[in-house]
Amino acid sequence: MGSLNKQHDLHAAQRKESLAAWLFMLPFLALYAAFLLFPIFRGLYTSFTNARLVGTVRIIGLENYAEMLADKDFWGSMGNTLYFVLISTPTIVVVGFVLAMLINAKLKGTVFLRTAYFSSYVLSMSVVTGLWIFIFQPYTGLINTIITKFGGQEIFWLSTRGIVWLAILMTTVWWTVGFDMVLFLAALQNIPTEMYEAAEIDGASKAQVLFKITIPMLRESTVLVVMLQMIASFKLFGQTYLMAGGGPGTHTRTIVHYIYESGFTNRRLGYASTMSIAFFLVVLGFSLLQRKLFANKEGR
Amino acid sequence: MQHSLKQTSLSRVLTYALSYILALLWLFPIVWMTVSAFKPMGSPVSILSVAFAPPFTVENFSIISQKAPVYIWTYNSAYIAIAVTLIVLLITSMAAYSLSKLHFKGKKIMYIVITMGLMIPIEAIIIPLYKTMADLRLLNTYTGLIIPSLTAPLGVLIMKQFFDDLPNELIEAARIDGAGIFRIWYSICMPLSRNSLAAVGIFTFTNSWNNFLWPFLSITSEKMMTLPVGIPQFQGANLSEFTLPMTVSLVASIPAIVVFLIFQKQIIQGVAMTGIKG
Repeated sequence: MGSLNKQHDLHAAQRKESLAAWLFMLPFLALYAAFLLFPIFRGLYTSFTNARLVGTVRIIGLENYAEMLADKDFWGSMGNTLYFVLISTPTIVVVGFVLAMLINAKLKGTVFLRTAYFSSYVLSMSVVTGLWIFIFQPYTGLINTIITKFGGQEIFWLSTRGIVWLAILMTTVWWTVGFDMVLFLAALQNIPTEMYEAAEIDGASKAQVLFKITIPMLRESTVLVVMLQMIASFKLFGQTYLMAGGGPGTHTRTIVHYIYESGFTNRRLGYASTMSIAFFLVVLGFSLLQRKLFANKEGR
Repeated sequence: MQHSLKQTSLSRVLTYALSYILALLWLFPIVWMTVSAFKPMGSPVSILSVAFAPPFTVENFSIISQKAPVYIWTYNSAYIAIAVTLIVLLITSMAAYSLSKLHFKGKKIMYIVITMGLMIPIEAIIIPLYKTMADLRLLNTYTGLIIPSLTAPLGVLIMKQFFDDLPNELIEAARIDGAGIFRIWYSICMPLSRNSLAAVGIFTFTNSWNNFLWPFLSITSEKMMTLPVGIPQFQGANLSEFTLPMTVSLVASIPAIVVFLIFQKQIIQGVAMTGIKG
């Protein structure tokens, strides 16, 4: 009888704990479900409709998807985005690696160096683009003032095809390289010092140490940094939109920019949702690939 | 021997030169912005000999508020960032406590569902999120600006990881002493996780302070703008003049820079953590 009562109490306690657990989850979970998960499904539904910002909504099946696949502007902005992924990923990863190596070189003033390289990362998108607009602006901007002072020609950084990408790239490297740098730095500091000491005893040259110890030891982190950087670059919008308006023409219009334009300027929510799904699938692909690469590593 | 010593010191000198030149290059735009904000309105600050020489003035800080409601934007940014930070700390630590220390059916699935959220970028949901906020009549409101910053799963995962490391014996002991589930959370787990709370809090605050995309999409009323939305508009209206936009940018950057300088270690650790979890 006593043990039965005890069991009963135990069940009651478990139920109580379970209830409490859900109550603790509830505030976050409700917001998370309503404003992150639900929008994904709502977007999926909207992508099959002709929804506009106002007016009646009709389900039109795969029409938006067919339109997207035939839309030159969609492929154009996808192409621009991938172009940026291709030029920015190696640049930012390599610069981030170099900066991390410099911080890790045990120079005097390491804290100052780290602060200097990282501080731009804490600035807002708008501050960064505003600042670099003034650096690149023709006639009155900083770089052109210096160039013309030494007798050079005006360069129209933000309105010349090709060159505008260089300007966007410089801005983005300056702003975000701190992130990659910190990840490399954490990895560098995890390399056991005994490995370097052993190499020194063996009389290895600096280049040998770099290519035979440091770089191989960073392989895993490099994969991570590359994947994260590709995802970040794929989301490019603010720099190109604020600095060049996607121009000249549509030369720097990215996929997020085109989604924004279709949804908010042209008010075609259905079509914009369709492209959002495509965008989401690409990012998801990158994320899953990254997870897979790391899961493999852990499994070994 | 002599030769190799020379070589080492030469490469040392080059490393020093490279790292300090890069550091100055990296800091230069921020220094330029700061100096320009203190130059009389209309100064041609692209000429560096002008920018870095007197006269200096603080007039710009009052002129900007005559041109646009800059200090209202500052208030909005601060209000939202503080509200977001406090709410995030509360709800993420509650959810993390539940996932880490309580037993309930569906816990594993909940953990997977929350981890999945890491793969949903805000860029992919701006259209349906906008429609949802419009349906709820939350566009151009503080609530509408705050909510999308509350759904990030990263804070929950970081807090959970920390709670996982708290010894279960501690919680068992408290339970035997008669402490309830709520009491264990707020008088044992919360005080012990001060460092993690600080890391998540600092991170959340600067992210909210700098947040661009959602406020940019959802605010149309000038009075409801935050600094990141107001700056491009202000600068667009004053492109021929550098000092005033630079002043607005400086005002917008000071809180982030001060927080960074004070909590540098936590912020950098936080970044390393997001990457590792990412």
